[in-house]
Amino acid sequence: MSRRAPLRVAVIERSALVLIVAFFMAPLGWLITTAYKPARDIFSFPPTLAFAPTLNNFRGVFHYFDLPHLIQSSLIITVGSVLLSLLLGVPAGYALARSRTRRAVALAYFFLAVRTVPPVATLIPFYLMMRDVGLLGTWWAVILINTMLNSAFVVWMMFAYFRSLPKEMEEAALTDGCTLTGAFFRVSLPLVKPGIVASALLCVMFSWNDFIYSAFLTRAETKPISVALLAAYGTKDINWGTLGALAHFSTIPIVVIALLLNRYFVQGLTRGIS
Amino acid sequence: MLAIAGWPLAQGVAFSLYDYSLLRPERKAFVGFQNYVALWTDDAARNSLVVTFVFTVAAVALQFVLGLGLALLLWRDSLFHRICLAVLLIPVTVTPVVVGLVFRALLAPDFGMIGYFAARWGFSPPRGYLGDPNTALATLVAIDTWQWVPFMALILLAGLKSLPTDVLEAAEADGATASQRFRLVVLPMLLPAVFLALVIRTMDAFRVFDIVFATTHGGPAGATDVLMIYGVKQGLEFFNIGFASAIANTMIVCIALLSVAFVFLIRRADRRANELL
Repeated sequence: MSRRAPLRVAVIERSALVLIVAFFMAPLGWLITTAYKPARDIFSFPPTLAFAPTLNNFRGVFHYFDLPHLIQSSLIITVGSVLLSLLLGVPAGYALARSRTRRAVALAYFFLAVRTVPPVATLIPFYLMMRDVGLLGTWWAVILINTMLNSAFVVWMMFAYFRSLPKEMEEAALTDGCTLTGAFFRVSLPLVKPGIVASALLCVMFSWNDFIYSAFLTRAETKPISVALLAAYGTKDINWGTLGALAHFSTIPIVVIALLLNRYFVQGLTRGIS
Repeated sequence: MLAIAGWPLAQGVAFSLYDYSLLRPERKAFVGFQNYVALWTDDAARNSLVVTFVFTVAAVALQFVLGLGLALLLWRDSLFHRICLAVLLIPVTVTPVVVGLVFRALLAPDFGMIGYFAARWGFSPPRGYLGDPNTALATLVAIDTWQWVPFMALILLAGLKSLPTDVLEAAEADGATASQRFRLVVLPMLLPAVFLALVIRTMDAFRVFDIVFATTHGGPAGATDVLMIYGVKQGLEFFNIGFASAIANTMIVCIALLSVAFVFLIRRADRRANELL
C-alpha cells in the first residue's frame, strides 16, 4: 500500500477506526460500569447513562457466590489442562515435524480435525466414560477432555512452528556432540518459545472460557466461573449488577493476559493456522 | 492420546445405531439407521438443521465482508493501527457465555440500553429482538458477528500483509486504479487466506452453542434451535442418547465434508496465487 497516502484519507481512516473500536468496546464498557451501578439505576425506566457508583454488587458477589472456590476451580482446570496439553503436544508436534514420512502431515491435519468435532458428539460418551471411571464431577473430568482437545491443537501449532525451523541448527548441535534430546531441549525449544507461548495462551483462553464441558461434567463444588455465571442467572436476587461484578473476575484475567501478550496472541492466531 | 480421542467418537457412532434411552436402559434395541432417518422426518430436527445452516451462512458471510473492510482499514504499519487491532481483539477473548448475557441484558425490552429504546420507538417487536421468533436468529447472527469480526479481520490482515509489495507497486506504476489493483491483484493473491478464514469461521459457526444457550436457549418457538442445542437437549435433557449421537455424527460428517472441500479450494487458490507471482 502506498505510504504517501494523502492526509485527508489518513484522517478519515483513523476516525473510522476510532469509531469502530468504540462500537466494539461499548458492550464491554456497559458490562464494566453495570457492576458499579446500584440496582435502581440498572433497571431504571428508561435506562440512563448516569449513575451513582457503588460497590454493593461486589459485596453481593461475595455473598452469593463462593468466589475463591470458583476461581480456584477455573484455575485448576485451566492450569491443569494447559500444562498437560503442552507436555503432550509439544513433543508430539516436534516428532511430526521432524518425521520424514508423508503420513506425518496427514496426521497433523487429523489432530487439527479433532478440535473441530462438535462437543455434542464427545460429551455424552465422555460423560458415561467418566461416570464409569468414577471421575464424574471432579476437576479431572474437565481437565482430561480439555487436554484432549487442546493437546490436539498444540500438536498442530507446534508442528507448524517446528517445521519452519531449519534442520541445520539441530544437526549443528549434533555434530557438536549433543544427544538428540539434548539438541531438542537446548536448541529447538528455545527457538520456538513464541510458538509455545502462543499455544499456551490460546489453550488458556479455551479452557478458561469453556462452558459446555464444564457445565455437564462438574458438580456444584467443582464448578468454574464460566458455568457459575449462567447457572446463577435467574435465581433469587441475582441481578445484572451482580453478574457484571462476577463477569469482572471471569473476563478481565483473560483480557489482561491477551493484551499483555498481544504479540504472541496475534502471531499464534495467524501463524498456527497457515 | 488417540485412544482418548478415538474411543468417545467410536462409542458415539455405536450409540447412534441404537435406540438408547438413559431413562429406560432395558429398552436398548438395535434400530439401525432409524435415528438418522428421524433427522430428516422429524419436524423439530429438520428445523434445527435449517436454523443451523441459515445461521452459519449468514454469520460467516457478514463476518467476512465486515472483516475484510476492517482489515483494509488496518492495513498500515503504525502504532495506532497496532493498538487498534489489539483492542479490537478483546471481544474474541471474552467468554461466549458472558457475551450472550451482556447482549441479553442490552437488548431486553424492559430495561436494556438498546432494547428499551428500540421497543419504545418501534424498531423492534414488542417482546424485544431476542423474544420474537422472526428476529431472534438475525440478532444472534449480529451478536456472533460482534465477537468474531475482529478475528476474521486479523486473519485477512495477516494475508494482506504477506502479499508481495513489488507486485502491488508494479501494478500501481502501470497506472492501475485502486479498485483495479484490489480486484485484479490483491484479491486473487488473498484467496488462500480468504478460504482459510472462511473455513475456520464456518466450522465454528456451525457448532455455535454458548451464545445461544445464554440468550434464547433455543427459543422462542424453536427459532434459534441450532443443532448443538438440539443435540444437547436430546442427549442430556431427554436422555435420548441414540438420537443425540446421530445428530452429533451428522454434524461431524458435515464439518468434515466442508473442511475437505475448503482445503481443496485453499490448495487450488494457493497454486493460482503462486502462478501470479
